[in-house]
Amino acid sequence: MKAWKYLLGGGAILLLVIQLVPNELPEVIDENPNDLIGSGIVSDEVASMLQKSCYDCHSNTTRYPWYSYVAPASWLVAKDIREGREEVNFSDWTTYEMTDQLMILDDIYSEVEEEHMPLPIYTILHSEAKLTPEQRQKIMEWAETTMDIIAEEVDSDF
Amino acid sequence: MKKLMILPVAALIGLLFLQANPKPEAETFVTLHAEAPDLPSDVKAIVQQKCYGCHNADSKNEKGKAKLDWDALEAAKKSKAIATMGKITEALEEGSMPPSRFLESNPDKKLTAAEVETLMEWSTGKKKK
Repeated sequence: MKAWKYLLGGGAILLLVIQLVPNELPEVIDENPNDLIGSGIVSDEVASMLQKSCYDCHSNTTRYPWYSYVAPASWLVAKDIREGREEVNFSDWTTYEMTDQLMILDDIYSEVEEEHMPLPIYTILHSEAKLTPEQRQKIMEWAETTMDIIAEEVDSDF
Repeated sequence: MKKLMILPVAALIGLLFLQANPKPEAETFVTLHAEAPDLPSDVKAIVQQKCYGCHNADSKNEKGKAKLDWDALEAAKKSKAIATMGKITEALEEGSMPPSRFLESNPDKKLTAAEVETLMEWSTGKKKK
């Protein structure tokens, strides 16, 4: 009886103490003139899918849920968003070189096709971000078509 | 007599159509492949020796095949080819290929500095065939 009380109390204290560990969530920026959406290469339909399923980690417009302010969840959230933006940040889209844009679109195609993205741990907590097979297909088709459009502009004889 | 003439004439016209049909297909084939990155022979030799074992259409290494398939690259359209060559450049810059764990048991597959340079010249588009 006493043992579990100590354990519970210890757990509660530990939870309080870890709140003091400094943890910086990546900044939210609302004005993004270089964003993919608004660059003219994405339809409203695909844009809304990307916003719902990708933009929390792959843009500057992250919508932080309440638990992202509570350790230890906040640590994981901060890490995933930091790494996500590093991999591809749609808010910086037009600053990317064409070859990089092609590489990213090619990755979008395979990540979405193989259901690696959005991350399963993310969709468990954000069911609205889950992509249906039809939505996956639409994103893949968009990525492929957009690659062809960009490739036409690349001045080279590959 | 006149009616009998119709048959060979019809056959001749039929033949003409048959001949005409395969031609457009052959032309499409050529145009599709005109954009593919025809590998220079020195690049091809390195790829064959050091990469192709895992990165081919029949590879048993599913991950390697999914990431890069040299057979598919040679037939790929321009957009896909540029993206793939960009990724090859990244892997070469990072020195991540062939994977170090694979090299432990296959030290002869390690890319020499000269080979990396040859591959990079090609993958960055600096080298013409």
